[in-house]
Amino acid sequence: MGSGKQSCCAIALLVVALTCSMEPFAQAQQTPAHTGATAESWATQLAGLQSPPDLDLPALRQEAVARVKAKADGLPLKRPPIASQLLTLPRLIIEIQFDEDTPIVRPESYRTLGRIADTLTHRSLLSNKFLIVGHAAAIGRRDYNLTLSQRRADAVRDILVNTFKISPKRLQAIGLGEEQLLDATHPAAATNQRIQIATVARMP
Amino acid sequence: MNSMRFFMLVLPILTSSSVSAETIKFEDAAAVLGTSCAKDIDASCRGVNFDSTRLKDCLTRNEDTMSAQCKADYARAFDAIQKRIAARSAVPKICGRDLIKVCGAVQKDDSGALECILTATRGVTARCNQAIVEAGYR
Repeated sequence: MGSGKQSCCAIALLVVALTCSMEPFAQAQQTPAHTGATAESWATQLAGLQSPPDLDLPALRQEAVARVKAKADGLPLKRPPIASQLLTLPRLIIEIQFDEDTPIVRPESYRTLGRIADTLTHRSLLSNKFLIVGHAAAIGRRDYNLTLSQRRADAVRDILVNTFKISPKRLQAIGLGEEQLLDATHPAAATNQRIQIATVARMP
Repeated sequence: MNSMRFFMLVLPILTSSSVSAETIKFEDAAAVLGTSCAKDIDASCRGVNFDSTRLKDCLTRNEDTMSAQCKADYARAFDAIQKRIAARSAVPKICGRDLIKVCGAVQKDDSGALECILTATRGVTARCNQAIVEAGYR
């Protein structure tokens, strides 16, 4: 997944707010906002879910594994997104640096993780649940990329839960590998190694 | 240099909110740790993730070989994170009556009522207000 000493994984914190107003896909952030971004601005982006998506994560994981195993949709350029419902949710695409081929977050990205924690505990989002989505560029083995993206999404969730004490009830994680490219026109681009956070639900 | 970086980052926050004693943002505390200890983590704790227990334990075990800057900052950075966590978990307790009175909370972990109290402008007790500010919610 990564070719250098550090591999960059954009974990799209797919924070899916289930009952707020849903933002259209066109309004979702397509580039990672690092410089100049604040927890306040990220919280604004994650707010506004109108209707909760019907997400079955275990089924989605199985579907991804089956697709990779069957070598379906072999050409990355023509590969349809495996979870298109995520594209309509309020979300952030975030760049997090990991040690190569591991789920270990580089110290350079500690600030970003802290900002994610500030965002998810922002007063306007306390009732929301979020999905952390790991991605990979179409480089190397497809099955390996799927596994590593899941481990990285899990690692981000673990840090948010263990270090910043965000309720585990509010966070889920899934790795989509290269099955849902963030930039499908450039399958090998580093953009596709990012992580997403999406708002997926609202607490009862 | 050692602790200077920590104070340069954190002091403005402390001074700007000295009256309310707002705790430090997670982002700022994490940034101090990542900046002050990057080389030490690579050298002594490679393979340990940003976990408040495991990473802190690893750094503590390797204090002998640690840079002065990391040594001065890492415990305070973790401490700052813990203080904010404690301040945030204290809000529902300190504001218990306010949550019921102002926001109609029916249970302790009513996140909707918590959101309500954090934005309420009237009827909130001074003690509850102070807890909200300390937690960094306002």
